[in-house]
Amino acid sequence: MKQPEKQCEHMYLPDLCGVRTVLTLVVVAELFVFVLALGTPAGSDVDRWTRLGLISLFVQWITLFSSSLLCLARRHLCRLRAPGVTLVAFAIILGTTALFSELTWWLYYRVVFHHPHAWHYDFLARNLLVATIVSGLVLRYFYVQQQWRRNLRAESESRMQALQARIRPHFLFNSMNTIASLVRAAPDTAERTVEDLADLFRAALGDERKLIPVSEELALCRRYLDIEALRLGERLQVDWSLSPLPDSARIPPLCLQPLIENAIYHGIEPRTEGGRLVIRAEADDRQVVLTVRNPLAGDGGDKGARRQGNQLALANIRERLAVHFGEAAQLRMGEEDGCFVVTLVLPAAPPAEEALA
Amino acid sequence: MRILIVDDEPLARSRLAALLRDLPGCEVAGEAGNGIQALEQVQALEPDVVLLDIRMPGMDGIEAARHLSTLETPPAVIFTTAYDDYALAAFETCALDYLLKPIRQERLARALENCHRLTRAQLATLQQAGARDGATVQPEARSHISARVKGGLRLVPVEDICFFHADQKYVTVGYLDGEVLIDESLKSLEKEFGDRFVRIHRNALVARARIMGLEKDREGRCRIILRDCARRLEISRRHLPDIRRQLR
Repeated sequence: MKQPEKQCEHMYLPDLCGVRTVLTLVVVAELFVFVLALGTPAGSDVDRWTRLGLISLFVQWITLFSSSLLCLARRHLCRLRAPGVTLVAFAIILGTTALFSELTWWLYYRVVFHHPHAWHYDFLARNLLVATIVSGLVLRYFYVQQQWRRNLRAESESRMQALQARIRPHFLFNSMNTIASLVRAAPDTAERTVEDLADLFRAALGDERKLIPVSEELALCRRYLDIEALRLGERLQVDWSLSPLPDSARIPPLCLQPLIENAIYHGIEPRTEGGRLVIRAEADDRQVVLTVRNPLAGDGGDKGARRQGNQLALANIRERLAVHFGEAAQLRMGEEDGCFVVTLVLPAAPPAEEALA
Repeated sequence: MRILIVDDEPLARSRLAALLRDLPGCEVAGEAGNGIQALEQVQALEPDVVLLDIRMPGMDGIEAARHLSTLETPPAVIFTTAYDDYALAAFETCALDYLLKPIRQERLARALENCHRLTRAQLATLQQAGARDGATVQPEARSHISARVKGGLRLVPVEDICFFHADQKYVTVGYLDGEVLIDESLKSLEKEFGDRFVRIHRNALVARARIMGLEKDREGRCRIILRDCARRLEISRRHLPDIRRQLR
């Protein structure tokens, strides 16, 4: 039973084959019956308790019958989207209601009371109308509940992903290993590396909604590259080409660093001979352009195997840029002369409302 | 106990060497920076144990371990890694020992006491798991085929291979510098390298990228012409339409 459930995640109807759901439905239906019974003044043709019993019987029949039909149809319903599911559910419930109304009318009014045509169509129409309203309410409730659950899950997932996009476990543990190697042989370097790592993590764990000067982000990238240089030794070469940047230029923290990390992960680490990263920053009155260039992985590299975490990191950067700058910021990537080039374009001055925030 | 340290990071190697120096009865036989070097060193130095990093350029640790297992007297292997969550899950499933970097000395000592050779089944599971997420460097297929020849192991880069030809018990690998015999089945090779090699006969796979054309011999059988390969292998009637379609 696990398999169909898994494919059925988008479906908003709960599993109506489950005992708990059925019990809940029965209780809700019974409460509704009480409302109906209480709504009629005393002194009608039958006494109140009999009436309650008869309506219960009628309503529970419809509830249980239509929920078991929906339970049976669940596997097929999974293939439909929400509007389709709603239509089918309505059809099943109204069909069931019509069927039992006819049966009831025939049994109760014809066989028991011998009223040949009394209120036949009125009875049917009233039942269908009530069924439409009540099942509409119930379906709406299921839908809202499922949306709420889905939002909750999406939110916690995206929080986790945002954190992972900024702190890569891979980098953390590799750095720890580097420090462990350095402690005895080169205590000074070890000390500096701990400081660099602390700065990076302060930025990663800090408020990601705040903007920092681009120059500060570049300093963080330098710290990061210092750590990676220890690990990769001669295999990593970095060319910096930085033009003077306007002081007003701002960036969400750790937007450039993950791009450099990707460049190392995909462009330097898989290559036995290593390679050269080129990091460039240029600015004019309107915008700041940051580019990171790395050699393509080449033979034996993981050309096809782009990590999923990598995509998440890029999506996270895009999202943060969009939140702050809208269309004014861009993240582009592509191949150029045997290199992989990522370009980050930022406005030279952040929009005015950011100053207020 | 003689130990070979394999890791692409010099600092990681020096730390392991320092840890091993303090362990009684252990001796660092040598160091290697990637899988290919590791295979050379193992043959030259014949260590008892290899400490093998998983993520390395050129050839990763998991593939290196697979090639090592084809040696006549393979060394015991202990994997080391900083962070590879999928590979680690696979290690658990095939009950393999691994060390997480930074490695603790007592943990290293314990692993060295209990280490043993890897079985083929363990290695196959590992390779699959490593491939699934790309946490290791190599995609699913190996980058090299290893063949036991006189005087050791010969590594043939997969891109140099023209064909695999099954011949009773063994499979002949035809590559740029000649031919070697390996003890693998065509079926498993086809499964592993299906994107690069195509079956042309019950007994042969050829490199897709090397197919140049077809010719008919005197008996009217179709043979395939491969770039940089003198041998013309026969194409069976069943596979002919497939190959024709690819040539178009």
